[in-house]
Amino acid sequence: MRTPVTILTGFLGAGKTTLLNRILTEQHGLRIAVIENEFGEIGIDHELVVQSDEEIFEMNNGCICCTVRGDLIRILGRLMKRRDKFDRILIETTGLADPGPVVQTFFMDDDMKEQFFVDAIVTVVDAMHIHLHLNDSEEAREQVAFADVILLNKCDLVPGADVDALDRRLRGINALAKVYRTVNGDIALDKVLHVGGFNLDHAMELDPHFLEEAEHHEHHHHHHEEDVTSVGIEANGDCDGRKLNAWLSELVRTQGQDIFRMKGVFSIAGNPDRIIFQGVHMLIDGANGGPWGDRPRENKLVFIGRNLDRAALTTGFRACLA
Amino acid sequence: MELQKIANARAHDHVLGLSGSSDGSMFAATPSQGAIQLLRPDGSIAAELPGHGMGNGISAFHPLEPILATCGADGKIRIYREPFSVTPEWELTIGKDWIEKLAWSTDGSHLATAIGKRLVILDAMGAVVQEFASHRGSVCDFAWNPRQPEEIASVCGGGALMWRLGADEPFARFDWGGASLLASWSPDGRWVVTGDQTPSVHLYDHTRDYPLHIQGYETKVKALAFNSASRKLATGGGRLVTVWNCTGKTGPEGTMPKQLEGHTGDCVALAYRRGSDWLASGGADGNLIFFEPESSTRPRSVLALGSAVASVAWHPSEPLLAAGTDAGDIVLIRVQ
Repeated sequence: MRTPVTILTGFLGAGKTTLLNRILTEQHGLRIAVIENEFGEIGIDHELVVQSDEEIFEMNNGCICCTVRGDLIRILGRLMKRRDKFDRILIETTGLADPGPVVQTFFMDDDMKEQFFVDAIVTVVDAMHIHLHLNDSEEAREQVAFADVILLNKCDLVPGADVDALDRRLRGINALAKVYRTVNGDIALDKVLHVGGFNLDHAMELDPHFLEEAEHHEHHHHHHEEDVTSVGIEANGDCDGRKLNAWLSELVRTQGQDIFRMKGVFSIAGNPDRIIFQGVHMLIDGANGGPWGDRPRENKLVFIGRNLDRAALTTGFRACLA
Repeated sequence: MELQKIANARAHDHVLGLSGSSDGSMFAATPSQGAIQLLRPDGSIAAELPGHGMGNGISAFHPLEPILATCGADGKIRIYREPFSVTPEWELTIGKDWIEKLAWSTDGSHLATAIGKRLVILDAMGAVVQEFASHRGSVCDFAWNPRQPEEIASVCGGGALMWRLGADEPFARFDWGGASLLASWSPDGRWVVTGDQTPSVHLYDHTRDYPLHIQGYETKVKALAFNSASRKLATGGGRLVTVWNCTGKTGPEGTMPKQLEGHTGDCVALAYRRGSDWLASGGADGNLIFFEPESSTRPRSVLALGSAVASVAWHPSEPLLAAGTDAGDIVLIRVQ
């Protein structure tokens, strides 16, 4: 059985360590191993806490999509050689970390893929300062874009209307993430653990209208001129499997660097089962999602990325319909 | 080739490494957690040494004397001397990061370890002789030059740095920009080899500043072993064991390797018997396979150990092999 991994990101001072301490001190009965960055400040001594440098392994001449985190491969490889296995791995990144290589580690490295799965990327956001970070920092935008869960933290320090506006801005960037408002990282643990974030099926069952929300938020916030946005596409009917495969392959080859995440459910002509799709940059992965049953056959696809061309993506996808 | 299983032992956990003492009187079996066992060739336990807090790194016997160095995730190194009581001769805390490995120089004068971005060299009394700290990332592995006991290679990022004791800067640098995991230095001192995260091997003839890149492996390269004559390099990257000819001016360049078949899982441990063509290969498929690559690419003998083989080590003089598994089993096998 694969071990779930939670990746905790967020800018310096957003409240990552507070949340981490909260997770580790709560009586959840889970054995959690924590990999924190070399400047980590976790005050917990009854859990396994490993410090690591954030080391990027370039596996293919610097291609962004082929970079992985060497420190994680090494540390997790060692952890899995212990008989007393852990129930969960928590990886805390530095404030300036790019989540891409962390996630890609669990797609690219065969040993990691075999033994772990990414349950969720949880991004902690400081409600006071995130506007500035989003305006100025590529890393902040990417951390929001990659998230499955966003904790809008320190909400007690910001007027309610401003939090509402920030909430909308975050959803405009990342329509897939669940956004929770918190104070001192106080949140029920099942909101950040057991998320099943890399599972579109799960995301859609939680909120079947998330694509509509993506459209709404993006429209509402055009005045921010976000370079990182979400594009959602829906279409009834079946796709031509070969056309879809060719389109996606070409898309990630030419635009993979700007596509942070993709998730989708496809109805493929001649296939009685749903096809669940996900991707990070150029890495894409499909899985059988079980029979359609009584559900109407339809396709849903979401891209989160930089400078996405909604019209071109929509046209490209529609051309794949059978 | 006939195999005779002469003893079984049981470690507390996954056997990270096996190290034979110089006189052949015992093997040190280091599990990922728990006591480090010293086993006699008949399988009886000579001593059990306390494990390190939060887990062990790979222990190493001194090349000339009955001395064992142990290390662990507690950032400590301990030295034990015969008769191996539970109290170490000395203990040194190097830092708070994990220590995964130790290696003695071939003359036994120095002990090397890596902690984070530092390659640390100690003398036999535990005094820090030198730290090579100018690594841009964590030191993944290191290997002494068997011919020049004051030279050591470290692997960090893609490639290797070659250091000489007494100098602060590397005397040779082999940088290819990718990610290397393992280091090995050929017994004749000619080749520094890295096993890489990308499915490849890099060889570097530092005497001529001559690098080679060998690709085509099925997986990342998890095992490297030179034969004692330095003529053959066995590499494990996937189910096949690939053996390269390292003779001639350009070594493996332009040559066809021998590809040894037999494993159904990744090859993870390799060891040539000293002075012989016998190659032991441990696989994630649970099989311990004995090859004689010069005469055949097919297994000479296969022994199923029941769970993934994690480490192998030959006795220094007798045809005796120790193998450890991920379940903690240790098997001693006589080969005839």
